[in-house]
Amino acid sequence: MTALLGTALWGIAVADFRERTRRPAYLVTLAAAVGLGWLAVPPADSVWVILDAGGYRGLYDGAWVGTATALAGGLWLMLGGFYVVRGTVTRDRLTGVGQVLAGTPMSRTTYLAGKFLSNLLVLASMAGVLALTALGLQIARGESYAMEPVALLAPFVLFTVPVLAVTSAAAVLFETIRPLRAGLGNIVWFVVWMSLLLGSSGVPFGGFDAVAASMQSSVVEQGLTPAGEFSLGLTEVGEPLRVFDWDGLVPSAGLMVGRLVVLLAAVLLAVLPALWFDRFDASRAAGSPVFAGGAGGAGGAEPVRTPAPVPGGRAAGTASAVSVDSMTSARTGTRPGLGRMVAGELRVLTSDLPRWWWLVALGLNVAAVVVGEPGTALLAAAWIWPVLVWSRLGTQHLEHGLDTLLGAYPGTLHRVTAQWVAGVALTAVTAVGPLANMLLAGESVRAAHWAAGALVIPSLALLLGTVTRTPRVFQVLYLVVWYMALNEVAGFDLMGIVLDGAGRPAGPSAVVVSGAALCMTAAALAVRRVQHLRR
Amino acid sequence: MEPVLELVDVAKRYRGGLHAVDAVTLRLGPGLIGLLGPNGAGKSSLMRIAATVTRPSSGQVLFDGADAVRRPDALRRRLGYLPQDFGVYPHLSASEFLSYLAAVKGVGARAARARIGELLEILDLAGAGRRPLGAYSGGMLRRVGIAQALLTDPQVLVVDEPSAGLDPEQRVVLRNLLSDLATDRVVVLSTHIASDVGSVASDIAIMSGGRLRVRGTPEEVLRLAQGQVWEVTVPAETLQILRQRHVISKQVRTPAGMRVRVLAPSAPVADAVPVAPDLEDAYLAVVHGHAATAGVVR
Repeated sequence: MTALLGTALWGIAVADFRERTRRPAYLVTLAAAVGLGWLAVPPADSVWVILDAGGYRGLYDGAWVGTATALAGGLWLMLGGFYVVRGTVTRDRLTGVGQVLAGTPMSRTTYLAGKFLSNLLVLASMAGVLALTALGLQIARGESYAMEPVALLAPFVLFTVPVLAVTSAAAVLFETIRPLRAGLGNIVWFVVWMSLLLGSSGVPFGGFDAVAASMQSSVVEQGLTPAGEFSLGLTEVGEPLRVFDWDGLVPSAGLMVGRLVVLLAAVLLAVLPALWFDRFDASRAAGSPVFAGGAGGAGGAEPVRTPAPVPGGRAAGTASAVSVDSMTSARTGTRPGLGRMVAGELRVLTSDLPRWWWLVALGLNVAAVVVGEPGTALLAAAWIWPVLVWSRLGTQHLEHGLDTLLGAYPGTLHRVTAQWVAGVALTAVTAVGPLANMLLAGESVRAAHWAAGALVIPSLALLLGTVTRTPRVFQVLYLVVWYMALNEVAGFDLMGIVLDGAGRPAGPSAVVVSGAALCMTAAALAVRRVQHLRR
Repeated sequence: MEPVLELVDVAKRYRGGLHAVDAVTLRLGPGLIGLLGPNGAGKSSLMRIAATVTRPSSGQVLFDGADAVRRPDALRRRLGYLPQDFGVYPHLSASEFLSYLAAVKGVGARAARARIGELLEILDLAGAGRRPLGAYSGGMLRRVGIAQALLTDPQVLVVDEPSAGLDPEQRVVLRNLLSDLATDRVVVLSTHIASDVGSVASDIAIMSGGRLRVRGTPEEVLRLAQGQVWEVTVPAETLQILRQRHVISKQVRTPAGMRVRVLAPSAPVADAVPVAPDLEDAYLAVVHGHAATAGVVR
């Protein structure tokens, strides 16, 4: 019995792992892992660093490059890896594989554990590439040629694997909770990741304090003085870091037990949904693609399959007496009806939004007028709220499998234009309150920035959706942009919320942002044109 | 009569070297052509090429003599296409979905409204026209697909496995519709069900392995299997031997043994009786290489 269970578990995990690793996109994720490794072990004269030991970095030997890449892996693969691995249960749902599996004796726990294992294998393969990159960079940087496999790999086991296990488990968990299956899950994970970082100095689930203490001790022992804080995360330093020698972390029993607990918690988190997982019972699966549907990627919506009787329907055979030639003549025009196309695109974007969504949007706008100050918080809230709707620009036809049907329709570029206009209209409507506030306060410069924001948000969404053919990239990137802007990084402020000492927008000018928006839209049209030519 | 749609020496090769379509030439004028072939024969790839959804790897697609590969919009404006698999926006009603597609095609609002109402009526969807498509059955969605293909007055109608999911009555409605349309339009009907084609097509093409094997009138295609179809009642053990040597197109268990219909160049067993072939026999004969095809492919 146990052997059978193990066979089923391994069978699910390996089949799923093979399916994912044989896609071209997998090579892109491995390339990203290589890039991450390069960032973690930068050239000696680089002022961009990921691990800063108070103005110092370790000699590039096995202990330092292993620890730096392992910590960076835990930090970034937790975020990016989640979006890479999520969607496996939904894929079984959409392809019908789930229906086949549902007819087997496979238990819910086995299935979920198999998916967890598959997720972990994918992420572990990325971590493996990261470790190989670390070794390659250690040799390439030429500061130490000593082969220290234990010193290089131990930090991955200690810091990276438990984080990847939690990420793998969360990806499974989110797919079993209907509201989290789609774009909302992508947003929630970003918030979870951000919260964990803020609560643990950049290493999810702790451990950085032990590493920092060990490094500090080595720095002091070598008669050096730390010139700043220890930090993890991509930062720019004033001058290249100075070098000290570090033998690596000797983990305490407490640290190891703590990481083991994280690992076990991940396993429990992965199989917990066995309590409610629907096991591909179609009658229990339905809902909106944005708020309750698929993985938030192309093809992420539930397939339409619910049989339904036609009220008042009559026998179809009686209609055979009607002749097609007697129907109203409907000739195709030389130009599509742009106005009605925009209306159609707006309907497609918003038809599945629940009433409470509109009520929240209305509340934010009313509050912006009532509060009476052109504050950033309400504009931010008003323009973060529709992120899942914008993220469908450029992808909604893929999401619902309409690409083949629409492929035979004329006016491909007109459709893209209509989507953009619909996106701009939605953006403007969702933040009309803050605009009114600015105009009432005579803040014409900020109103111009608002207009630029209303152009750039749908343009960015349309471009990213068209290029990547998935809404996930915009969902994550847009939140990163807002996160930076709210932390007053002026270069990321596309809506005029970061103010200088004189109370004027400190970010790029409204003209520059508007120009960038139009360039993005033109790029989306060009990409769509190329996609069409390569059909 | 001048052909309206021409596929000239069309080929489609996918990554990995798979030849889905190989050097197919079809010149099509008004009338209904039934494209038959087993699964994987290349029918759907050819349909997508004819509908401008996919570019051929080589060859030409001409619409009224103009290149429809480089400039597809002229054909698209006069095209109705029903793919084998297609999606819908599940939260729109049939009327809203068809209105959206009518706008994409540039049909005027008033004409679109009237046409959509009539199509929903003909396809027995009027009662469900305001319900979200997500609540439709597979057969109802297929009828919505047919409706979108007929949104305009298409000069070329390409329908790929249109009867999948339809009940017998709805199949009759569809056949009558297609037959009506074929009076003065090009209708290309792709299917792997020979009986769907037999009752409406004036022209039949059979594909297998990506190539066009046969094209002709139903009579010409039937003639390919003339003298090669036999019926006989045999015991179970003889049936096994027959299966190994010949194509069995039908078998029915009777008290006297198994009544079978066999494709064979000569009598497969001593008391086999020759019978007139039907379209399914001819199709199987072509696909399995039994047919004498000389002079039939046009």
